[in-house]
Amino acid sequence: MNPPTPGDGGSQTVEQAARPLTRRTFLKGSAASALGIAAMAAALKPLLALERENLSVDAFLQKHYQELTPQELRRILDRLESECEQSRGIRPDIRDIRPREDTEFAYALNIGRCIGCRKCAHACIRENNQSRESDDDINMSYIRVLEMEKGGIDLETSDHYYDADQVPRAGKFYMPVQCQQCREAPCTKVCPVKATWQEDDGLVVVDYNWCIGCRYCMAACPYDARRFNYSRPKLSPDQINPCQSYLSNRLRPKGVVEKCTFCLHRTREGKYPACLEVCPTGARIFGNIRDPGSEINYILKNKRVYVLKEDVGTRPRFYYFFDK
Amino acid sequence: MVLCAAPLAAGEPASPKLPPLPVVERPAPAKPAVGLSDDRHLDKDPPRTTKGLDLVKLGWTYNCMECHRLLEAKWHYDRPMAEHQDIRLAHGENRFCLNCHHPTNRNAFVDYDGSVIPEKEVVRLCAKCHGPTYRDWKAGVHGRLNGHWDTAAGPRTQLRCIQCHDPHAPKFPTMKPLPPPTYPPRAAHAPTTSAGIHPTPQGGTAH
Repeated sequence: MNPPTPGDGGSQTVEQAARPLTRRTFLKGSAASALGIAAMAAALKPLLALERENLSVDAFLQKHYQELTPQELRRILDRLESECEQSRGIRPDIRDIRPREDTEFAYALNIGRCIGCRKCAHACIRENNQSRESDDDINMSYIRVLEMEKGGIDLETSDHYYDADQVPRAGKFYMPVQCQQCREAPCTKVCPVKATWQEDDGLVVVDYNWCIGCRYCMAACPYDARRFNYSRPKLSPDQINPCQSYLSNRLRPKGVVEKCTFCLHRTREGKYPACLEVCPTGARIFGNIRDPGSEINYILKNKRVYVLKEDVGTRPRFYYFFDK
Repeated sequence: MVLCAAPLAAGEPASPKLPPLPVVERPAPAKPAVGLSDDRHLDKDPPRTTKGLDLVKLGWTYNCMECHRLLEAKWHYDRPMAEHQDIRLAHGENRFCLNCHHPTNRNAFVDYDGSVIPEKEVVRLCAKCHGPTYRDWKAGVHGRLNGHWDTAAGPRTQLRCIQCHDPHAPKFPTMKPLPPPTYPPRAAHAPTTSAGIHPTPQGGTAH
């Protein structure tokens, strides 16, 4: 400990306060300010570290999606586009597409027609820019095609790693599972930061810039519908689908959760989702449940539909049915 | 014919006196457009592509009456059809040509009363027997729609019966599934030795 110097302490004489700048006081002062600068730098260090990991200060200070003004959002979309161009070599068109008026999306899938070919799971990664090691890597696909023994729906003995020469195999049936866009979505209730929520048209979405990667939502989901980016998504420029939107298929950063959004960048513009577009047997039906003339309403009125895990009370917007 | 050319092209030892037949490259016949043109990254091929059109692939026009003006129509043939080798008839009890094909106009199909159903309106032919399926197809829930669910926002295409089903064998053939997801490496095999605890990307354990 240094001995107390005269001048420290509360009572200062006029002589002490007004004494001229000596070499000693100058050195003391500059040492203190140097210390202050060092402390400042130390406090800012996490921000600098973020910059090194391609997360700009702008992105770090970004507000929640639902609190953004249109101008802020425009700036963010521009920033995301140029960041993608810098790091991936391709400039995507990232849009913010809002829910349509008087629209609520629902999906129906005909188990009697599905042959388990996995074309939907592969179309999903082509459309939604999931990370992949090769073109055939569908580990991050939002769709899992379950193979089950005929006679019951036993999810515990189902197999989505089946590698058959030809499908459908005798004695088996196939049930693709993806996000069910639940009306009582447990994933949105457990999120500690409200980074995932349900939109007016029923789609459950994620703000990838707000997600902290805790994966509570993955634990809460009864359908294994969410995927986590353990590493920075691996995608070559030719694998990137440039038609993107903020809440759906734009490139995700490392450490966030992603999920099926019924391809909202397509469906909110009136198109069919990608998994339906490729289904070779026409097993998938999609539409606006509030339009009485839609195909999905025809299914609900005329076919015997069921929902997956009805007992957990999630009230899905995804229906399954058996038909020829 | 395509059946003669294929084995020779494959390098089968032919008779030394005969020179090998030239292999004629012909482009596959154009398929009707399905869905939107900017969805090129999605494979929207219906399960039945050009099966049953081998004669078209060989360059024939699709005017059946070029031959059938001379060949009379018969209800039943007691021998395999040598002229239509690509036809495999597996349509249940519906096994007579003239159940569907028109007896005097082979470019068209036949209705209940013997009148003509043009080839473009083949759906009406199938609807003669498959009423409930026709009803669902008209409602847009049998078969696949492509393009826009909201027809006010853009066009959509609807596949017709024979774009997916081979009318002579309408049950979908089995197909090779696309590759599965990989098994989680740590769970793939329980390590058997104390040294083999390091998972490899291939899904096994390193020794």
